[in-house]
This record gives sequence, structure tokens and C-alpha cells, in this order.
Amino acid sequence: MNKVVTINLNGNAYQLEEAGYDMLRVYLDDAARQLAGNPDKDEIIADIEQAIADKCRALLNSSRSVVLTKQVEQIIAEMGPVEDGSAKSPDDNPGAPSGGGSSASSQPAENPDDAGPVKRLYRIYEGAMISGVCNGLAAYFAIDPTIVRVIFVLLAFVTFGGMVLAYLILTMVLPSARTGAEKAAARGAPSTAQEFIRRAREGYYDATRTFHDKAAHREWKRRFKREMSGWSRNFQQEVQAHAHQWQANWQEAWRYHPGAYRGLWFTLSILSILSAVVSFAWIFASISLLTTGAVFGIALPSGMPLWVGFLILFVALQLFLSPVRAVRHTLGRHGWGGGSPCAPAFFGLWDAFVWLGVVALLVWFADRYVPQAHQALVNLPPALHSAAESIKHWWAQQ
Amino acid sequence: MGIDEKFTAIRKGLLEFLVLKVIAAEKVYAADILRQLGGTEFATQEGTLYPLLSKMRREGLLDYEWKESDAGPPRKYYELTAKGKSQLRETSEYWQKINGTVKAMGPKSA
Repeated sequence: MNKVVTINLNGNAYQLEEAGYDMLRVYLDDAARQLAGNPDKDEIIADIEQAIADKCRALLNSSRSVVLTKQVEQIIAEMGPVEDGSAKSPDDNPGAPSGGGSSASSQPAENPDDAGPVKRLYRIYEGAMISGVCNGLAAYFAIDPTIVRVIFVLLAFVTFGGMVLAYLILTMVLPSARTGAEKAAARGAPSTAQEFIRRAREGYYDATRTFHDKAAHREWKRRFKREMSGWSRNFQQEVQAHAHQWQANWQEAWRYHPGAYRGLWFTLSILSILSAVVSFAWIFASISLLTTGAVFGIALPSGMPLWVGFLILFVALQLFLSPVRAVRHTLGRHGWGGGSPCAPAFFGLWDAFVWLGVVALLVWFADRYVPQAHQALVNLPPALHSAAESIKHWWAQQ
Repeated sequence: MGIDEKFTAIRKGLLEFLVLKVIAAEKVYAADILRQLGGTEFATQEGTLYPLLSKMRREGLLDYEWKESDAGPPRKYYELTAKGKSQLRETSEYWQKINGTVKAMGPKSA
């Protein structure tokens, strides 16, 4: 027995199962978000509601008066994601010099988001090392990305990892430049139609050239491998040195200021937050690797099996967490030994509390601002349900 | 990258041209357009078509009128404006030109 919700689609009442209603709500909310800034938003939404109503009506008859969740799911799949037709887009599709319809050239910047040469801070994936934060900063300040990266790494050492946290936050907060307009805005270049077409064309020819040129492709692969191995070796050394340094610092602090642990709660919280953020990013990266074969926009090199990607991710997680773990360990052992006997228990409790809080916050953030994540979360209950069903089924067979 | 994927952008760009052609033939409502495009390389979904139609109307290429339907509520029937017709003509000519260029280039058998 399922609860039924009555809805009004463009002036007609329909009865939907509750889960179906939730799905439709998400779909229409996403549509409204996509069309934000479109002068005809309300009219398009009304058209879409009408089309959904037509599809619902086709499913109903005198003996069937409720639209089932499964049917709503199918209707949404038939409708397809709502794309704003007025957003000019030779963007993520290089090689589209405005086909026959000229969606790019006939429409000078109309969307208020990318009107004129407005400069904005974005992450830029192309040529990025990790997630494009440095690349985006470099574009914004019009300097060489390598300089920004060096500064970042130096600051990471000086701030004992604080910069790593800042980097993670920037990764989460900064939007990535996906469309041509956004990429232009990231560099502060005027976003005229000609500019888009020129860039699209350049991108297209680049892509096709390397695609066909086997030698260039091999060379690229070789260089990539060498850079990756060198990078990971350096990184390991850095991490180890860093962990020792950290441990030494804290032990030192403990020795000279036996009573000064007011900052401990704060440090501990920061560490918990850091490890929570990293774990979350890791889970997110794993999911995106599984579903799209790419992590933060970096695709696996062709020919590399998926499990190698997971292995790399796992090793990266361990590398990342090892200094944090070392410090938490040190704090746990030395930081609380002289306090009250129940202090270690509090230590653990507080640690877990902060960790859970941050994960919950991140999930909430993703749910609210990342439509795909929202969709994934909405789809989670049915997925769990079917998983439980299949386990039950398997059990029954034994 | 499959051939289908390579032409994603080109299909996207040509969609407006095809919609113009479909509407030029007769007064249609949205579901008619989807039906005619369905099964071709240009198969499209409501989520893409409605924003495109509204954009084209805003550009003055087409207009619609409400018509009663025997099944359900009134529908929007689309037709081309004078501007839409001239755009279709220009686009067709340009398309012919592109086609000619593609044919004339390289070996004649391809």
C-alpha cells in the first residue's frame, strides 16, 4: 500500500504514488534551475508540465487512476533533461562552428550570467594536475600555472598542510568552467561569438590531429607515465617527511608546554575535518571513476583497466591520510595522557562527532548544489531496495 | 570516440534547421515534431525541444496558436513567420553549399 499524492499539472489533477511525486518534483526543480535566467522560463515549464500530463493521461483509464512510480520514472526518462536552448553552446562540443541553425553566432550574449567580459574565478580542467584550482587561479591572474602550483606547494609546507585543506575547499566551492562562456570568463576574455568559434575550431583540430597521429599519441603517453611516476615518488617522500615533521612538532610542543592544550580541541577538530573531507572526496572520486571513468575530470589513460584506477585512488587516500593519522595518533598518545582518565574517551568521541558532522555537511552540500549528486541520493532508496531484494532472493535459493 | 559521438555537436547545431523544415511543411504541435524526428539521427526529447522552440519564437522565427484538440486540452500549433521562412531559405542554401564543398573535396569516389 503506497500513499498517493494529487498534483496539478498545468490545470489538471493527477494522482501519483508518493515516490513518483518526489521524482517529478526533483525533475521539475532541476528544469527550473536549468532555465533560470531564461525569459520564457514559466512558459517552457508550463509546456513541459503539459507534456508530462499528456503522458500521464495516456497511462490512465477507467480501471487505473494512479500513476505508478515506475511509470513516472519512465516518463521522466522519455522527457530527457531540460537544456536551456538559449545558452550558446559550441562549448563542450568542440568542432561546432554553429552548424546550420547558428545557435552561436546569431545570439550575442543574452544569458545574464555570461554577458560581456566579466572575469570570474573558475576551476579549469584542461591541463590541470589535480582538479584545476591552480589552473583557474593562474588564468584569473594571467600568470603561468606552474608558478601558482609552486606557490601552493610551498604554502602547504609553511602552513603545515593548511593549504591542502584550503585547496580541498576551493575544489568544492569553485565552479568548474565547462561552457565556452565560462572558460572565457575564467580568463576575462570577451565572450563574443567569434571567440567561441575560434576556440572551438582550435580545440577540434587539436583533438583530431593527436587522435590520428599514432606517434604523437605514444609520445604523449610516455611523457604522461614518466611525469606520473616522478610525481608520485616525490609525493611519497614529501608526505613521509611531512608526517615526521608534524609528529616532531607536536611532541616538541608537548614537551615544552605540558599544560598548553587549549588549542588541542581546535587542532583535533581541524584534523577530523580534514580526514572527513578527504574521505568524502575519495568516495566521490571512486563513484565518479566507476560511473564516468574519470576522476575530477581527469580520464584514465586509454588502455588502463578500471581496477588500476581504484588502486591509485586508494594509494592516494592512504598517502594523504597518513600524516593526519600520524598526528591524531600522537595527540591521542601524548596529548591526553596527563589529563583526566576519561580524556581519551572524550578524544575519540569528539573526533567521531566532528568527522560525522563534516560528512553530513558535505552530503547536504552536494545534495543541494550538485544536481547529479541529488539525483543519485534520490535514486538511492530504490537501489538499496533492489539490492536487498536480490540478497533475499539469493538467500531463499540456498 | 565513435562517429556518432563525433557528430554530436553537428547534430545539435542542425537541430534548429530540421525543426524549421518540419514546421515549414505544415502546422504542427510539439509531439508531431518529436514523432517526425524520432527514429532519425535527430531523435530529440521534450526537455531539449521546448526550450529550443521558445528560443526560436523569441528570435521571431516562429509563432504558435492555440487549437482545440479532440483528446485533452488545447495544443500549441507552431508555424513559421516570414523571418523564419527566410532563415530556412538561407540555411538551406548554406547547407547545399557545405554539401557541395564536402563532395568536391578529395577523392571523387568517397
